[in-house]
Amino acid sequence: MNFIKRAWLNLRAKKGRTALLILVTSAIMLFVMAGLLLKSAANQATQNAKDSVGATLTLSANREKAFQKMRASQSSSSDGQPAARPSLNMAPVKLSTAAKIAKLQGLESYSATVSTSANAKNFDAITTSTGQMTGPMRQEESTGDITISGVTATASSANFSDKTYTLKSGRGLTVKDKNTNNVVINSELATQNSLKVGSTITVQNTGKTKTYKLTVVGIYKAKSTASSSGAMGGGMMASDPANTIFASYTFANTLKGSKYKNTADSVTFTVSTPAKVTSVQKAAKKLISSAYSINADDQSYQMVKASMASVTSFADKIVWLVAIAGTIILALIVILMIRERRYEIGILLSLGEKRGKVIAQFFVELFVILLIGVGVASVGGKFVGDKLATQVIASAQTTTTSNTQGQGGPGGGGQGGQTGQGGPGGAPGGQMPGGTSRATTQQAQAKQAKLATQVNWQDVALLFGLGLLIILVAILAGAGGILRLNPKKILIN
Amino acid sequence: MLQTKQLAYWYTDKDQYLFQDVNLAFAAGHSYAIVGQSGSGKTTMVSLLAGLDAPKAGQILIEGTDIKQHGLTNYRRDKVAIVFQAYNLFTYMSALENLMTAMAITNASHKGAKAYAAGMLTKLGLTQEQMTKNVQKLSGGQQQRVAIARTMVCDAPLVVADEPTGNLDEANTDAVIALLNQIAHEQGKCVIIVTHEPSVAAQCDGVLRLEHRTFTWEKQPAPVPA
Ligand SMILES: Nc1ncnc2c1ncn2[C@@H]1O[C@H](COP(=O)(O)OP(=O)(O)OP(=O)(O)O)[C@@H](O)[C@H]1O
Ligand SMILES: [Mg+2]
Repeated sequence: MNFIKRAWLNLRAKKGRTALLILVTSAIMLFVMAGLLLKSAANQATQNAKDSVGATLTLSANREKAFQKMRASQSSSSDGQPAARPSLNMAPVKLSTAAKIAKLQGLESYSATVSTSANAKNFDAITTSTGQMTGPMRQEESTGDITISGVTATASSANFSDKTYTLKSGRGLTVKDKNTNNVVINSELATQNSLKVGSTITVQNTGKTKTYKLTVVGIYKAKSTASSSGAMGGGMMASDPANTIFASYTFANTLKGSKYKNTADSVTFTVSTPAKVTSVQKAAKKLISSAYSINADDQSYQMVKASMASVTSFADKIVWLVAIAGTIILALIVILMIRERRYEIGILLSLGEKRGKVIAQFFVELFVILLIGVGVASVGGKFVGDKLATQVIASAQTTTTSNTQGQGGPGGGGQGGQTGQGGPGGAPGGQMPGGTSRATTQQAQAKQAKLATQVNWQDVALLFGLGLLIILVAILAGAGGILRLNPKKILIN
Repeated sequence: MLQTKQLAYWYTDKDQYLFQDVNLAFAAGHSYAIVGQSGSGKTTMVSLLAGLDAPKAGQILIEGTDIKQHGLTNYRRDKVAIVFQAYNLFTYMSALENLMTAMAITNASHKGAKAYAAGMLTKLGLTQEQMTKNVQKLSGGQQQRVAIARTMVCDAPLVVADEPTGNLDEANTDAVIALLNQIAHEQGKCVIIVTHEPSVAAQCDGVLRLEHRTFTWEKQPAPVPA
């Protein structure tokens, strides 16, 4: 055990060199640690994102097909004079088809969306200045002042799940509200008409043939940004977004007419494993005719995945780069140090010390230095890792944002709008799916921003193992050449 | 106790041998001087005797056994103590620690290491303060005395010194040679000293000259008194 004592004497006597070695080793270990932490944090975040950022499939009428059909009828009737306004006929989705698709593996639940409108009967709809201006332009016969948004459950509707709308009082609609006249209304509408949970309101269908009694079971509040942006785009809208009433999809169908029974504008399926969205989509496609399309919305998942993949690969690069650079730097230092100690090695050999024990002495010296280095890295690694994580996320977010801008288009076309009102060019208003996906993206980004590095014993053990490997390689590279010489060559030349 | 048989050594070319067919015998209890011109091969010879290098031909026997049979590392550890011109001490240790390290490596620590080593250093004229500070802070003569003290605390029966007085003044030279003679005569070890100083050679029991690639005895030691 004499070599341990020698190692100790050496470390103590050459304080300057020991300090320098500790500094270099700590720096290398610190960066490797930061890389390891960043990597495991990115893995964790990707896992979290996979668990929490959902992907959905939306079944709706094939818009493109419907447009083609409409254009065909338009050109055939164009004989110079302005043709009658062409109608965009979009086949409603049969719920039986949806039920069939829902049986596919990988799908969790589904919810139907039916949009229509009605006229307020015993209360006043909210009129905005823009709404008044556009008033005359509206086709009074076909569009009412109240937008009826028929859903399976409010919780699974896009506006509620992305928190643009939140429940203020009462309750949301659930599957149990199927075939009832229960509704959830906007808080502005409620205030203006002094409506409360439990109040009854009546609406009339747009054909003005029937009136319906509705029971208010809940009141929702819109995020201020959502309503203001809705008002800005209001020129094209049927009415102020505050006039949107959530009802069960069955009631919306009743309003639309008997032929809409058991149908929906669109059905949204929740995909249980976002990673499998493409294969599920493929399988679902086989079950529907070309009049329908099934669109995947896994943008947020894909974006989180992509940005986390870049974080992971960045972390990987750091670990490798630092490990390789560290090995080289440390090896060079150790080689120089051992060369400088060549005479000492010669004395040890002349005294009859075994070569293995000479190596062991160097190993013990560097082992002690490594221990301190790993200690420093364990304490400081989190700090450097967090700094790196913030940096990496900032750059990842820039990419994500530009992605969102680039992909804004397909989101807008996704859901088939509000039964085609406002014409083919009119982007549907408050419930525009594009807005939805952007909101989800922001949520996902918020999650990424929380990328937290956490020092765990596995990382420390891994770091230690890596460090051991580095010093072993360095010692063998440094001492190997000298120890192969006979002691006379070391001592005398 | 130490013998060479047909010993030969050359560096690159066999025809350029430094010496060959060397048959010598060294006895315990005597001091020997090896003299000769610079570059004649004295250092090469003693490094073979010390087991720092292996001969090209022939054998070296210690107490009748070929040193190859011991293995050179074991031979160095158990049989030889070496003193060099450059003191060859561990620079990161004190004199005392140097001695104790050597004792630990050569398994000589049975003697009650610390006290024994300190006693030896005191005998060689080092104060308590001098033996506990870093050896680099000692003078050349003091450092060489530490190196000699190291050979004295180890059990090795053979002491090889290559120009141990090369860096020393006259007074220190005499003191060191006196110590080496003391090791031979009082501890009964075999001491071989390479030197180019005639005054040093004159103090040794035997003198061996290397000239024209051959060793010749200039002075043979008297038989050891029984
Ligand atoms: N590693 C080597 N390779 C080749 N030749 C060498 C080597 N070491 C020494 N020599 C040569 O061997 C010869 C003997 O060298 P050695 O050191 O044994 O001489 P020396 O008698 O000790 O001389 P000095 O009195 O100057 O110390 C010299 O001519 C030298 O040049
Ligand atoms: Mg020499």
